[in-house]
Amino acid sequence: MRYSNFKHLILITTLLFTGYAVAEEDKYSPVREKLETCFACHGQNGASSMGAFPILAGQEFYYMYVQLKDMKKGLRESAVMGPIAASLEKSEMKLMAEFFSKQAWPETNYTVEAEQATAGKRVVGAGQCVACHLGDLRGNSRVPRLANQHPDYLLATMLDFKNGVRKNSPAVATLLKTFSEQELKDVSDYLSSYSE
Amino acid sequence: MLKQKEGGRATFVKVGLASLMMAIGSSAFADEEIERGTLFGDMQTVTQDMLDKSAGDSNNFLHTNGNYEQTRFYPAEQINTDNVHNLEKAWTFKMDVVDSLETSPIVVNGTMYVTSSFNHVYALDAKTGKAKWHYQHEMGPITTYCCGPNNRGVAAYEDMLFMGTLDAKLVALDAKTGKKVWETEIADPELGYSETMAPTIVNGKVLIGTNGGEYGIRGFVKAFDAKTGKLLWTFNSIPENSVGVWAENDATGLYMHRDIKAEKAALKKLGDPYKTLGGGVWQNMAIDRDSNRAYFVVGNPSPDLYGAIRPGDNLYTNSLVSVDLETGEKICHFQYIAHDVWDLDAVSPPILVPVTNDDGQTVKGVLHGGKTGYVYVHDAGDCSLIRHSEPMVMQRDRWVLPTKEGASMLPGANGGVEWSPMATDPGQGLAFAINLHQPMTYHVEETPYPDGKLWLGGAFKVIPTEEQWGNVTAVDYNTGKIKWKVKTQHPMIGGILATGGGLVFTGEGNGLFKAYNSSTGELMWQDQTNAGVNAPPSSYNVAGDQFIVVGSGGNAQLDYKRGNEIIAYKLAK
Ligand code: HEC
Ligand code: HEC
Repeated sequence: MRYSNFKHLILITTLLFTGYAVAEEDKYSPVREKLETCFACHGQNGASSMGAFPILAGQEFYYMYVQLKDMKKGLRESAVMGPIAASLEKSEMKLMAEFFSKQAWPETNYTVEAEQATAGKRVVGAGQCVACHLGDLRGNSRVPRLANQHPDYLLATMLDFKNGVRKNSPAVATLLKTFSEQELKDVSDYLSSYSE
Repeated sequence: MLKQKEGGRATFVKVGLASLMMAIGSSAFADEEIERGTLFGDMQTVTQDMLDKSAGDSNNFLHTNGNYEQTRFYPAEQINTDNVHNLEKAWTFKMDVVDSLETSPIVVNGTMYVTSSFNHVYALDAKTGKAKWHYQHEMGPITTYCCGPNNRGVAAYEDMLFMGTLDAKLVALDAKTGKKVWETEIADPELGYSETMAPTIVNGKVLIGTNGGEYGIRGFVKAFDAKTGKLLWTFNSIPENSVGVWAENDATGLYMHRDIKAEKAALKKLGDPYKTLGGGVWQNMAIDRDSNRAYFVVGNPSPDLYGAIRPGDNLYTNSLVSVDLETGEKICHFQYIAHDVWDLDAVSPPILVPVTNDDGQTVKGVLHGGKTGYVYVHDAGDCSLIRHSEPMVMQRDRWVLPTKEGASMLPGANGGVEWSPMATDPGQGLAFAINLHQPMTYHVEETPYPDGKLWLGGAFKVIPTEEQWGNVTAVDYNTGKIKWKVKTQHPMIGGILATGGGLVFTGEGNGLFKAYNSSTGELMWQDQTNAGVNAPPSSYNVAGDQFIVVGSGGNAQLDYKRGNEIIAYKLAK
């Protein structure tokens, strides 16, 4: 099992947190109301079950915080999220990102044909994706988790990178531009069904 | 049995009972009886004298690269060409994190210190592999690193250990307990700074550089006071005037296709790019105690591939630099590649050895294994280049300029020699390097500084249809000729160790850990481990037995199978 002690840590933190929430004032109270609006699309606690809305539950804190800032600045263009991010203060973004990062990543159970998995794996090798997204493709800090994210969302955002719509990470955009749409589709399916 | 206290705390803790109790978590260990070891006399802590004499020390492994000269030559001969076939696993220790493993074990009087990804530190009984304590750095939420959550080890001095962290902090630990003594911020991780190298310690100064060449940092080497963590000096690896001499050829004399006219125009328009020019220093420095100087190499400019935005030679990126240890002031430098747009930075730790110059005189020399795949031989006095070796790896269209569609070149961006330290055998005049053959395409894209985000100015891509492999190469540094070269299945990353037993030890991505005859390259022994062996081996002696130790945990950058084992070997009885 990977990061076995981290998992314990998460368990302990969750237990502590649950206890804390009952006994003490809710840390997230300043954003509770706004969080409800996020749940409408991203699912309860960010555990989205719809392909167009990325899973936020268990995504990296710093990554999400930066995305919200980038969407507010327009570096990451999004018709849907742009106005939402624009209405948030930095302190709210931080709290919300923290809230979502502390939730458990939901089970998605995507599967993929062997042939496509092989094609996806080839893309992961050529792009050295694991050098940054790490061996389990779960990211860290400013690098997002890709494993078990919705394939529709992964493909959409990779195409946004490729087509210059998502401009907030030029290095990732340049890399993804070197792949064909079919390759990006293959890798999306591979990533969404990823298991260790 | 001896009971010794000072201010209510034990000052001496020796392997055995006391440490076991600590491992169990006794909080009141000050009151426990402490067994004082006899085998190694009174060498309870790491003195400056021990650090100075480490090159001849066949009990300990006190520095990341063996000694201040960084020769990675371990003098013990117990394990040698005649008996190495009897080498077998003595113990295996499993760490908590299964991820990229680049640690250099150091060994102090029978206690080994190793680290894992995400900055865990373990103290182990070097004889048995039993844990004495485990420290886990409390990582801040912001970490910015390029090539895996790696850590390459700790430095030891007196009764303390020092480690740089992924969130760009320097922590000092009590070597006996693993408790944190102090912590200080080295730089701001939001701007792309992070630490993976082990610090180097000399005369109470903790020296450490930084990663961040992929993020538009301004690189440095900093010296901190070992007792307090106070910053003593900073050497900026990028000077305010980074322009240089508009060099057209690299250190081997090969033309680099620079458009100097366009660069000069850009310089007028944009000014000196020093503030975000990169130049990380991410491996250890060699220390010359006689001249009180440090020698280190500086990494690539930012952004890696897009050069138009950073006109000039981009000093002191891709250079050997020597500074005064007292002040951090520069004494000399030598640039290998001016205005690099291929990420072929200088990173493998430099080595101080006597070398023969072109007049046949023996002078104090510095060796560096370049990502270009050459071993460079310098005069330590003024950093000048005496010679470079034959290329250890295949060269194809070197210095073709990156294009939008991607231009193919060898070496690839992971180089001919990556961060992997070389070893030397001064008696034979040989330097041993591990190499990569990894064809890549280099893509350029115009990119302004993205405020601390990844800044490559393009992309590197492995060419999946082309074969990749590695080599272990022995270079005669007094002639520049290759003495022997052995091909390996995969590109090599990790490091190598030479010993007085006529051997070199190094591991591969496929999990094989091998010993070669250091004068012929003949394979003498191998062991199959459970993950990629991509960390530098060390050697030490406990209770009369010589051990070889290495991490088997794979590598993020080259995607070699991850694991979590530290494995120690000794001769079968
Ligand atoms: C109307 C539906 C909707 C609502 C409401 C909504 N989002 Fe989103 N969100 C999206 C969509 C669609 C995307 C993908 C945007 C894109 O890539 O263009 C997204 C993307 C994101 C991302 C980036 C995730 C990633 O993996 O890069 C974050 C973070 C995020 N939303 C946070 C929030 C927060 C916080 C709220 C509440 C304040 C919120 N969203 C409300 C639809 C919504
Ligand atoms: C050099 C490091 C690096 C490499 C290599 C890399 N990525 Fe990323 N990737 C990042 C970073 C950093 C981000 C976050 C960018 C940002 O801040 O918006 C990212 C973001 C992404 C996202 C957006 C996820 C989301 O939730 O919106 C996808 C998808 C992605 N990468 C896929 C890939 C794939 C597929 C590969 C390999 C072909 C790859 N990356 C290789 C660093 C890297």
